[in-house]
Amino acid sequence: MSSRTTTTTGALARLGFADPERAVGLLADAALLPLRSVIPDGQVDEVVGAIGDTADPDEALLALVRVLESLARRDDDPEWGITALCTDLVTPGESRNRVLAVLGGSTALVDHLVRHPEHWLDASRATRHTGERVREELVRAVTTERGDVRPYDALRVAYRRGLMRIAALDLTAPDPIASMPAVGEALAELAEAALEAGLAIAREEHGPGHEQCRLAIIGMGKTGGGELNYVSDVDVIFVAEPADGVDEDTALRIGTTLATATMRACSTPTSEGTLWPVDPALRPEGKNGPLVRTISSHKAYYERWAKTWEFQALLKAWVSAGDKEIGLRYKAEISPMVWAAAGRDHFVEDVQAMRRRVEQHVPAGEAARQLKLGPGGLRDVEFSVQLLQLVHGRSDESLRSATTLEALSALARNGYVGRDDAAILDHAYRHLRCLEHRIQLHRLRRTHLMPVADPELRRLGRAMGHRTKPQEAVVADRQASAREVRRLHERLFYRPLLAAAAKLSPSEVRLSPDAARQRLLALGFRDPAGALRHIEALTAGVSRRAAIQRTLLPVMLGWFADEADPDAGLLSFRRVSDELGSTHWFLKMLRDEGRAAERLAHALARSRYAADLLARSPESVSMLGDPNGLTPRTREALVSTMRSAAGRRDTVAEAIAAVRTIRRHELLRVTLADLLGTIDLKGVGAALTDLTAATIEASLGAAIADLERREERPLGGEVLVVGMGSLGGGELGYASDADVLFVHRPHPGESEAEVQARVTTVVQELTRQLSSTGPDPAVSLDADLRPEGKNGPLVRSLDSYRTYYERWALTWEFQALLRAAPVAGSEALARDFTALIDPLRYREEGLTPTQVRDIRTLKARVEAERLPRGADPHTHLKLGRGGLTDVEWTVQLLQLQHAHAKPALRVTGTMAALEALGSAGLLSAEDVRALREAWRFGSLMRNAGVLWRGRPVESVPTDLRDAEGIGRIMGRPAGEASALGEMWRRVARRARQATDFNFYDSPPRGSVNT
Amino acid sequence: MNRQEEFVLRTIEERDIRFVRLWFTDVLGTLKSVAVAPAELEGAFAEGIGFDGSAIEGLTRVYEADMLAKPDPSTFQILPWRGDPPGTARMFCDLQLPDGAPSFADPRHVLQRALTKAADLGFTFYTHPEIEFFLLEQERGPLGRPVPVDDAGYFDHVPHGTGHDFRRAAITMLENMGISVEFSHHEGAPGQNEIDLRYADALSTADNIMTFRTVVKEVALTQGIYATFMPKPFSEHPGSGMHTHLSLFEGDANAFYEAGAPYQLSKVGRQFIAGLLRHGAETTAITNQWVNSYKRLWGGGEAPAHLTWGHNNRSALVRVPMHKPNKGQSTRIEVRSLDAACNPYLAFAVLLGAGLKGIEEGYELPPETEDDVWSLTDAERRAMGIKPLPSSLGRALEVMEESELVADILGEHVFDFFLRNKRQEWQDYRHEVSQFELDRYLPRL
Repeated sequence: MSSRTTTTTGALARLGFADPERAVGLLADAALLPLRSVIPDGQVDEVVGAIGDTADPDEALLALVRVLESLARRDDDPEWGITALCTDLVTPGESRNRVLAVLGGSTALVDHLVRHPEHWLDASRATRHTGERVREELVRAVTTERGDVRPYDALRVAYRRGLMRIAALDLTAPDPIASMPAVGEALAELAEAALEAGLAIAREEHGPGHEQCRLAIIGMGKTGGGELNYVSDVDVIFVAEPADGVDEDTALRIGTTLATATMRACSTPTSEGTLWPVDPALRPEGKNGPLVRTISSHKAYYERWAKTWEFQALLKAWVSAGDKEIGLRYKAEISPMVWAAAGRDHFVEDVQAMRRRVEQHVPAGEAARQLKLGPGGLRDVEFSVQLLQLVHGRSDESLRSATTLEALSALARNGYVGRDDAAILDHAYRHLRCLEHRIQLHRLRRTHLMPVADPELRRLGRAMGHRTKPQEAVVADRQASAREVRRLHERLFYRPLLAAAAKLSPSEVRLSPDAARQRLLALGFRDPAGALRHIEALTAGVSRRAAIQRTLLPVMLGWFADEADPDAGLLSFRRVSDELGSTHWFLKMLRDEGRAAERLAHALARSRYAADLLARSPESVSMLGDPNGLTPRTREALVSTMRSAAGRRDTVAEAIAAVRTIRRHELLRVTLADLLGTIDLKGVGAALTDLTAATIEASLGAAIADLERREERPLGGEVLVVGMGSLGGGELGYASDADVLFVHRPHPGESEAEVQARVTTVVQELTRQLSSTGPDPAVSLDADLRPEGKNGPLVRSLDSYRTYYERWALTWEFQALLRAAPVAGSEALARDFTALIDPLRYREEGLTPTQVRDIRTLKARVEAERLPRGADPHTHLKLGRGGLTDVEWTVQLLQLQHAHAKPALRVTGTMAALEALGSAGLLSAEDVRALREAWRFGSLMRNAGVLWRGRPVESVPTDLRDAEGIGRIMGRPAGEASALGEMWRRVARRARQATDFNFYDSPPRGSVNT
Repeated sequence: MNRQEEFVLRTIEERDIRFVRLWFTDVLGTLKSVAVAPAELEGAFAEGIGFDGSAIEGLTRVYEADMLAKPDPSTFQILPWRGDPPGTARMFCDLQLPDGAPSFADPRHVLQRALTKAADLGFTFYTHPEIEFFLLEQERGPLGRPVPVDDAGYFDHVPHGTGHDFRRAAITMLENMGISVEFSHHEGAPGQNEIDLRYADALSTADNIMTFRTVVKEVALTQGIYATFMPKPFSEHPGSGMHTHLSLFEGDANAFYEAGAPYQLSKVGRQFIAGLLRHGAETTAITNQWVNSYKRLWGGGEAPAHLTWGHNNRSALVRVPMHKPNKGQSTRIEVRSLDAACNPYLAFAVLLGAGLKGIEEGYELPPETEDDVWSLTDAERRAMGIKPLPSSLGRALEVMEESELVADILGEHVFDFFLRNKRQEWQDYRHEVSQFELDRYLPRL
């Protein structure tokens, strides 16, 4: 026999067989003899060639052997017997191709053929049947024509034959992507027919009396939409009405029995398998509700209790099976409510929450292979189309189709979506669905994942019509479609808004202003009229700049809408664009520089502070286009830039104003870096400290130079600015004052009093110029921590500090010195000042019990007295219980006691000192954690408060919108504003416990007692 | 959104209800009520009824906007003491913030949260309380002392006793409100009565206790007497407790039951008890929330003052009661510290939370205590490792304040408010010069 096999392994490989050795073996199989017998020369090469054209030739050949073996055991019926099949197979043409396509496209259907080999005829003669015909065939198959087969089995067999027909046509379609909607429709019709047949079985099981209940089955989801997958749950709702003269309770009882039996008929596994689970969970009250309701009960439910998502689901409702008249009456009652849903309270909030849900829930690891879930998946397309239907279908009846693609095309036809965009999405959706169909068809399994194994990708690629490198081609195609779909929201939601705002020729169909307003509201804009005005202003006209804006804005609107305040984002963007739109670089940067536009959009819609800073100098936005633009600059670099800017000015006022302008620019850099998450809290503190220090350094230089110029002689001494508080600690926040001390030292031979007077003049000028109102944010220097406080001289000489600290200073002043760090002025003086204060703050003998008591008493008094009137000690971030002050004082007390013995404690930053105390074993790890968390949470929230609304928050915000905006900046998920207060109370309570224990309760410890 | 709500609206129509009282409970367990007309009810189901939370103790505002009371239709009941139609009905409410988030200050929500946590672990929580109370004459006696309505004892049948009539009336009324009563009898002290509620899920039981306290007080008033749930109104008689039987179910199976184990008590049951004991001190301020509660706990007799467990040991904090063989479903444990004046939502939440902690962490159950703890000497107790419950409200608050577990169960808002409020009560109490001091010191000093 092998002598008659002319086909070599090489030829088989060329024909597309992946395992030619095995194919040679199969071709020699005795089962193929009947095939050879119907060919004059017994050569099967031509047939093998046709097998090679199927999606998976190896599987097709194996399938052929199995089916022929099975058929050989049957009578050789002239119509469907083995001779008929072999004759069919050797005759080139569509009929043969359909049989082979099924053999090579679906192992699940081949399994069916092996059990019922005569059904090859269904594939061979497949034509598209009308829904009515399919329905009649299935009902007959389970009733009059079922013979002695059990009804459930009859239903399963008849259903699979229907499936075989659809698959045979689908797999041989010249353009599967074009015919995808027809396949989905055929599958839905088949499912409806199966429901009808299932109901027929149920009625028979029930026996006489079933007619007392008029039961309709409403298809929902993809069944109702007429766009079903090969394998999917079938979503339904049951509606029942009593027949004439029957009471409602009886009818509902019978209806429930029938519905349950119908579901069982479709989903119970038998030796012939199962169809699919029938899922009635979309009914009113879901799983807890009655399975069957009357029309009026449905109506009452939807009128009173339904949620927005339920109306969205009802978009798809379709009379699928059972009593048609009842079904249509149900539809007539319910549909108007669906289209009124967009007018409900909370529609916008519901929609936002629903959108978030759609975008979540992709198991990590699957995301890259998911066809259905996740951003840009099939579900996202369907959901987005439905959302637009709900928003606009209220006033436009032409949009009310249950089918995704029909709805999409209606949206495009009437201008709600751009035509080109709709066409692109339409193609991408069909393509992804087609992939999904082919993947599911293979084993008739419900899956939405792209395969990963090579053979499977190869089969899929070939099934999609790729013959060269099918693996690579199918993946590349899929990525191209996914790329298009990923821009879904831009295409569907935002771009049409531009058309609405633009004054185009009246002939063009476009979104009406009213529709645009509704849509903006649904997307989260609170002032749609304002938003439309901005969109119009930005995109109107024929200028190049308007053209670029028209491509940019749809994407940016989506980013604005993701944030807590989309309106503010759009407004600031318009302001910046108005300033810079005509420059050559601004729009180019947004268009070309990777993430610049995205970052700008997010920052502006998140932060009023950033928007205000940017409004003053729009050109600063250029830092977003610079790869290193969001890295804060070093203190040295800042000083050098500021000095050179100041040096070019004539008066001290101009010089310091120039410094402040640079500061604002740099402040924006820090702000953007913070908002976009490229630096953390510590980084923000360090960057703001560097910035303030550099500002003081450069301004001090300018003030000194000014004095020397005016008096025409040198200053006569050194000057030093020492940072205190969070400035000294390197932990400045956006709202912090700069606490400072001013020190001077006369040059030898100069009079101390004279130098003191002159330095005082310099410092006063410095303070005045830095804090004066002007276009740029002020820096307020606060010297209240100086010796004798407000009553003491503003400036002292080093010697005077020494005398004061050695004679008069109080314990709290040493405590304050823990955070002292020189920030500007003479380096030599800085060294000597540090040498002066080190023995005072890191005292050899630690603290006496009296001093410990003094500090504790002072703290207790501060707690009682400093809290502003009306502030809640439980939510005040700085002075409240467990707030920043608690953490700082606890750390400082321990530093005063132990820093002498433990040099690691000699740091000015609260967090650094806290970690050092933990490492030194002076605080338990648990207490360190409690204090750190409260300090970080409080500091983050204070910073976020400034960023969100442009001015500081002192307490956990009591307004939910503020809490939402601040929470989002702090990295909390959307919609969880109310949890913020609870979170603060928790961390603060723990910090307070640690403070009580370590600050108030622990026995006064000397420096040696660790 | 559901049939329950439809049912409520229909019933109101059919039964000619003119007012619906929306009930909720403040942090201290006091019942609050807002009356609405039936016409407003649909709106109340959909959106809730707004009110100013800051006006109510413990509901001080976290966020400026007002609060919403959202009725729970499954708790709908017609109030029998309001007479025939036109009648009055009530529903319990959940409290919400304007954004729909549950209020952190709502005790009912605290319990719901605890029950959700149990559900996440696969458990449902059932409770069965035995509520004791005193019936007193409306007029007080000399020195403002309470006067009991009778002078009978445990299980005494009092011929034509006021208490007898009273219990019959109260039980009829409770049954009318859908609250099943399992058992009622005269208790140990004069005027003291006990009524047991049938076991039910913890949320329903807590709602039922709130209703029960109202019904008992209403019925007493109609009979010209006064009912009190004060834990210890008489120094010389036992106080009023609320021994509560607890059980956990996993699906339909009793999770405390294990055939053949000692007392048929499963590992889950042993760990649950271990949790109750280990966290017993820190939860006492919740289970026994008044200054007066500690007079009962430390009054000896049947009140438990030590963290022990035992089988039929009436001095133990947790008792594993006897039950009929082959009745695995009824395996349960009895917590004896609770008093009838607690906030049942918070009390059940902390008991459940402590027990679940024992299960989650796999606590070992300490050995059973077979002796009457009160008869042991201090040294014996110390040797046996038996720790006392807090001796006073002040001490209980100090222990609770350190408890992460209780803060976690109650939520920070309730935790903090409760501590503040109770510290104030303790302080007020300490200012008071008592009858004891006057009687003892005035003649002598």
